[in-house]
Amino acid sequence: MMTASPSISNIPPLSSPIEPFSPEPLRWVAEDGRPVRDLPARYTPELLRELHREMVRAREFDRKLVTLLRQGRTTFYAQSSGMEATQVGLARSIRVGHDWVWPYYRDHTLGLAMGVPMIDLISQCLGTNSDLCKGRQMPHHFGSASKNFVSISSSIASQVPPAAGNAMAQKYLGTDEITLCTFGDGATSEGDWHAGLNMAGAAKAPALFVCENNQWAISTNLAAQTASPNIHIKAKAYGMPGFYVDGNDIVAVMEVCGYAAEWVRAGNGPALVECLTYRVGSHSNADADAEKNYRTRDEVNSWLARDPIARVEGLLAHLGYPVDAEERADLISAVHRAVDADVLKAEATGQPDWRIMFEDVYADTPPHLREQAAFVRAEQEGQK
Amino acid sequence: MTATQDRSAQTGQAQTGETRILTLIQAVTEAMREELARDDRVVVFGEDVGARGGVFLATAGLQAEFGPRRVFDTPLSEASVVGAAVGMAVRGLRPIAEIQFADYMGPGFDQIISQAAKIRYRSGGQFTAPLIIRTPSGGGVKGGHHHSQSPESYFTHTPGLKVVMPSTPYDAKGLLKAAIRGEDPVIYFEPKRLYRAAKGEVPSHDYIVKIGEGAVRREGTDLTLVGYGGVMPDAERAAAALAAEGVSVEVIDLRSLVPWDRELVLSSVQKTGRAVLVSEAPRISNFMGEVAYVIQEQAFDSLLAPVGQVAGFDTPYPYVQDKVYLPGPNRITAACVKALNY
Repeated sequence: MMTASPSISNIPPLSSPIEPFSPEPLRWVAEDGRPVRDLPARYTPELLRELHREMVRAREFDRKLVTLLRQGRTTFYAQSSGMEATQVGLARSIRVGHDWVWPYYRDHTLGLAMGVPMIDLISQCLGTNSDLCKGRQMPHHFGSASKNFVSISSSIASQVPPAAGNAMAQKYLGTDEITLCTFGDGATSEGDWHAGLNMAGAAKAPALFVCENNQWAISTNLAAQTASPNIHIKAKAYGMPGFYVDGNDIVAVMEVCGYAAEWVRAGNGPALVECLTYRVGSHSNADADAEKNYRTRDEVNSWLARDPIARVEGLLAHLGYPVDAEERADLISAVHRAVDADVLKAEATGQPDWRIMFEDVYADTPPHLREQAAFVRAEQEGQK
Repeated sequence: MTATQDRSAQTGQAQTGETRILTLIQAVTEAMREELARDDRVVVFGEDVGARGGVFLATAGLQAEFGPRRVFDTPLSEASVVGAAVGMAVRGLRPIAEIQFADYMGPGFDQIISQAAKIRYRSGGQFTAPLIIRTPSGGGVKGGHHHSQSPESYFTHTPGLKVVMPSTPYDAKGLLKAAIRGEDPVIYFEPKRLYRAAKGEVPSHDYIVKIGEGAVRREGTDLTLVGYGGVMPDAERAAAALAAEGVSVEVIDLRSLVPWDRELVLSSVQKTGRAVLVSEAPRISNFMGEVAYVIQEQAFDSLLAPVGQVAGFDTPYPYVQDKVYLPGPNRITAACVKALNY
């Protein structure tokens, strides 16, 4: 199964099928931006510029949201800085709005790249009336039905068995959809992770599992997380191919994840991809002193030197289409203006009131909830 | 008035039409068979539910009739059984997942409380998980503590879940059908010692028992006896014994725990002035504690005696001593006598 050349329609143009279980992360573009293997024709300067724009947008969105956090306008933020190639590349590997996604909490860049309007993400972080999730979840636990981007649970790896079930339903219904399920490296230690992959494997369900291996689960690094040398090798235990990708190389991410997605779509069963990247920022604002407590500045600097945005810029320069400083500055200020405008728009909608608390617990409202809502109504109206 | 007539009166079901005598487990199977035939979105799965038909045979014959696409075995993993049900429900199916024994809900617990119970709420209603988890619960089958527990309180304590437990074949079928046709996740406990012990009339026509409605099993004026699930036959035996002594006991079967029929219980207690609550789950944080609270809060002026409770003990469920552990008719009768003599 692993080495067969499957009959696949609609796969990205490739010179040869991509082999799973490579000893080193697969890479198309070196850290200095030079291609290390033939660049498929679809990576035109126009496409690369588009990808670059999306990555910069995500990076600046991160920066702006951290500022909002410091201003006390939101209460939690989990940066994905440094992981833009993985998440933007993933969004380009699936059929957005057709396929389904069971994401994890550090996936707002994936959401943005899938075309979720920035104001939807901001509204969720602010918990305003414009929040599709009605202000019920802490920031960064977004969901959007229009993109089949399923609402996020904080419980680590709890999205994995449902993703298997979602894929089983897609197969049952005879669709050509797949389910993308993302998680960090820490999630792979949870029982639910193994249960979900095992279930998907046994059911031969069209699920693409992607580990965004940023090497840190809060303060626990990969070496402490598992005795396994990497994550993708665990796919062997569940009878599926495991691909190992340089997650800071967006071309590699798109090539491998795009291939894996279509391999899964063709009915071959699930696949696992490990995108090796790095969490440049802290886990969250609850953990703002990462370099003081559990990792070295040198380690962070070594990964900053492997920045995924710089790599795309290097590739564009190599191809003769460099991004100049002015262009980059314009791009950055445009994102900042867009975030500022959306924050104001979201804040202007106000915060949901107490009534929202009693809705959507069930499809109907049982008597005990009606009574509790009446109690709060009296309490709230008494205070006016 | 017989219990059957009482029940029919309560559920508003027409007495016309054909009925058969089924056991509780046959009624469970029949509900699944009819819903599988009615709705192609319904799938039935779990450990050993396919060719084996389930360890209690609740799914016997369903795979042969509907094929392995609709009725199938899963790996031995409750987390993936429940988790897969969540994903299937979100993607538009109507999954009926079997957990072989309620005692094994532990590995699937996070999927139930973090995913199934919360996805509607946390997504602002954008995603929902209408699924059913069927599981045999309760004691009386010599199963020791890993095959006899009554874990319903873990789930009644989690907003977003509906929790039901039938005690008659009629209710078993009607509640399961209501759950399958509903829009919420439902934990459907099957009192395993009644699987074959409980027999009763089940209509041939299609019907549901609405979730949230209790049933009066026996009308009375002196005391209200409230129970659910496996203890119900003993509650009715206690009521019959007391009737022979000239005491009129009203017996209520909650059938649904979340939501539960407060109006039915309160109006009965307001009439009788005394309540005894019976279940076999351990006493601390027992669901009946909520029933007792509501009775004292809403019907305090009607009470002629403290609300009595007969429950399991706060020990792990024992093997050899399970007859001592379970509330039997004698212990229920004694609790009623205590309330009557207060």
